[in-house]
Amino acid sequence: MTIFHSIQQVFSRYKILALLIAIALIWAFFTWQSDGAFLTARNFANLLRQMAITGMLASGMVFVIIAGEIDLSVGSLLGLLGGVAAVLDATYQLPVALNFAIVLGLGLVLGLFNGYWVAYLRVPSFIVGLAGMLIFRGILLAVTKGTTTPIESESFVSFGQGHLPMMLGYFIGAAVFLFLVVMTFRSRANRQRYQLAVPPLWQEGAKLLIIALIIAGFVEALNSNEGIPVPVLLMLAILGGFSFMARNTVFGRRIYAVGSNLEATRLSGVNTRLVKMALFGVMGLMCALAGLTTTARMAAGSPSAGNMGELDAIASCFIGGTSMRGGSGTVLGALIGALIMASLDNGMSMLSVESYWQMIVKGSILLLAVWIDVMSGSSER
Amino acid sequence: MSEFLLEMRGIVKAFSGVKALDGIDLAVRAGECVGLCGENGAGKSTLMKVLSAVYPYGEWEGQILWDGQPLRARSIRETEAAGIVIIHQELMLVPHLSVAENIFLGNEITGPGGTLNYAAMYQRAAELMAELKMPEVNVALPVSQYGGGHQQLIEIAKALNKKARLLILDEPTSSLTKAETAILLDIILALKKKGVACVMISHKLDEIAAVCDTISVIRDGTHVATRPMGELSVDQIITLMVGREIKNLFPREEHAIGEVIFEARNVTCHDVDNPARKRVDNISFQLRKGEILGVAGLVGAGRTELAMAIFGCYPGRYEATVVLDGKSLEIRSPQAAVQAGLCLVPEDRKRHGIVPLMGVGYNITLSVPEKYSRFGVIDPPAEMLIIEQMISRMCIKTATPVLPIKGLSGGNQQKAVLAKMLLPAPRVLILDEPTRGVDVGAKYEIYKLMMELVKEGMSIIMISSELPEVLGVSDRVLVIGEGRLRGDFVNDGLSQETVMAAAIGQKEDALSTAC
Repeated sequence: MTIFHSIQQVFSRYKILALLIAIALIWAFFTWQSDGAFLTARNFANLLRQMAITGMLASGMVFVIIAGEIDLSVGSLLGLLGGVAAVLDATYQLPVALNFAIVLGLGLVLGLFNGYWVAYLRVPSFIVGLAGMLIFRGILLAVTKGTTTPIESESFVSFGQGHLPMMLGYFIGAAVFLFLVVMTFRSRANRQRYQLAVPPLWQEGAKLLIIALIIAGFVEALNSNEGIPVPVLLMLAILGGFSFMARNTVFGRRIYAVGSNLEATRLSGVNTRLVKMALFGVMGLMCALAGLTTTARMAAGSPSAGNMGELDAIASCFIGGTSMRGGSGTVLGALIGALIMASLDNGMSMLSVESYWQMIVKGSILLLAVWIDVMSGSSER
Repeated sequence: MSEFLLEMRGIVKAFSGVKALDGIDLAVRAGECVGLCGENGAGKSTLMKVLSAVYPYGEWEGQILWDGQPLRARSIRETEAAGIVIIHQELMLVPHLSVAENIFLGNEITGPGGTLNYAAMYQRAAELMAELKMPEVNVALPVSQYGGGHQQLIEIAKALNKKARLLILDEPTSSLTKAETAILLDIILALKKKGVACVMISHKLDEIAAVCDTISVIRDGTHVATRPMGELSVDQIITLMVGREIKNLFPREEHAIGEVIFEARNVTCHDVDNPARKRVDNISFQLRKGEILGVAGLVGAGRTELAMAIFGCYPGRYEATVVLDGKSLEIRSPQAAVQAGLCLVPEDRKRHGIVPLMGVGYNITLSVPEKYSRFGVIDPPAEMLIIEQMISRMCIKTATPVLPIKGLSGGNQQKAVLAKMLLPAPRVLILDEPTRGVDVGAKYEIYKLMMELVKEGMSIIMISSELPEVLGVSDRVLVIGEGRLRGDFVNDGLSQETVMAAAIGQKEDALSTAC
């Protein structure tokens, strides 16, 4: 019991650690079962590409859940925006850049529209999402007339299927690392300026070294295949941007405050409705990116694109340790949740497990993950 | 057989070592109504919770005799079976269920196989309604169709249906209009004639005088006096109720008081559930620069509602005009209030004050993001500097500023919430029960801080249920009772009795001593 208890404590404090262990176990299992075919550079690239779309949705969804809401319309919205992009490309032959701008703008507006209903008209987000799920899917069927719309622009297709040139991959890896080094030293200088405690140099050096190894390993693995897939790069950029938003912006801070105690936040003079509406706007943007990626990957807009996408995104967030009552959670966690889901899909497909089994296993994993979260007491108040 | 239906002897109830009740006695005869009086926090509600086994036998010491037999109830079910029914201040009806369904909730008349026998329930419910002189109530309609007064009576019907022999009414009229109150009091008198005993907790001495035969006064968890109703005058009751010592806990310091800078005009708040009733009824007052204005009154008098209306966050319908520095302000949200220079430290720290999962530091800086960010991007060291300054200024004891605030003691949480609302540098600071649930040391620090703030020229409105505190720190005292302004006193040798008399509403001439 005491061992169980202390394990519980460690896991509730370092949720990410628990998730990484889970991934290691899942990967080890599939590698063993597939005689090593699972853990190859090629499959690694596949896995990441598979998770990219769910990952984009989960990156937006995690903030919606942190703020104590839910958005069930994202799968349909993804489908609609992807469909619109396909129609704009195939039927109206718009330049790709303009097409993307329109679709991103539309995503933002539709997201804000959802948010307006939730924040200002006070319809529960569950209902707004449910309604949006039907409405957006309906519009999609109307726009595409229920048929698949193939796209022609090559640059559009490469947005989903392309890879970065290897040199560019190395260059980006190096640039990210350099950026982190500069940030570390700037932060140290800043802290010194305000006469705050500065962590020892060796500690930060060790941290940077580990980060360098991870980045190098990652880029090398993908480059030994075909290079970094564009959607994966996009997802990682979102991860970086949103992690920054969560920790270092006023908006991010307020999302957590709203989710942890809406009333106290409102009484502190924060415009909590605006925060909630903006949040749904961000979610809409993520749907646009995911929709564009989906259409590009399939080289066509499909009326069934993004079906059940909301469930994968929500499951990823919860597996990734986002609190069901709002107030806590991270983008990194949600993405690791998405990676777990994608690993299960990918591994089981590789082992030719029947698709009904895949659903049963994924459902059970979700149940188990949230149960562990509840057990560890992190959602108690 | 004992002459009493109920005897409570030497009841002691402690909460983590602090005695809320310290050897209380209470006796009630059949058909008798006992009024239970005492200041806020004297222990009235705790005593009734012991009696109705909200605190089960074993969690308190002493003895309860019911019909001469020891009563050792472990749950409300057992006390209700014995015939003791408590009607809480907050009504416990399910709004969407019908009147009859509410009356029979948990006690349904059933036919074979657990099916509900609606005919029998409607008939019995209608009988009860007739008995309570409100035959107009349609027992098949949902409870939410009826106003607060009817709902209170439906609660009583529910109690009678359980064959109550002793009815405990905790502030039964606090959400009723005058007319509804009159009906309720009539019914209590009728019940007495039928032999039902009653314990009534109320701040309204005229209501107690109207229905009670005996009055029991408790103070700080001890029994002060029990007398027949006629023997005590209102003044005597008040003296028995207060009489708390003002210890030298209040660091009152001289400070200059300037011009009027803030004014609230014609503040009226309507009850959220019963809009016909006014929680705050046309209150106006002024506040001077550097002044501490204490707002006293009994629980439910409308003080918190007044503060919420001024701060733009009253949940129901309300009207209020707020003037700051001669400018009339339209404040309809806390955001607007903070921008205008008004800050509120709310009464319910857990629900309205802290963001529990967030660090102490981030809680403090929540109100002023513009001070540590540019274009919405936070400058962490700049923020940390503000946090450390506030933590040391307010003497907040925390291991690190990133520790989630829910792990701190009440006093330190309160200091953090105070720090949060000081950062916007308000002109007027409203403190609603600033020392509730705060230990003595932290209390003293909060008073000290208030003195510092008024010396710097801030003005403070302090709502408090503790009379010694109000008299200990305020320059001027407003007394609110039943939503109305009952008194406006300069705190110069002001006595607890005067304030309490005004709060209870006995001395209408109190207003004449206004400044």
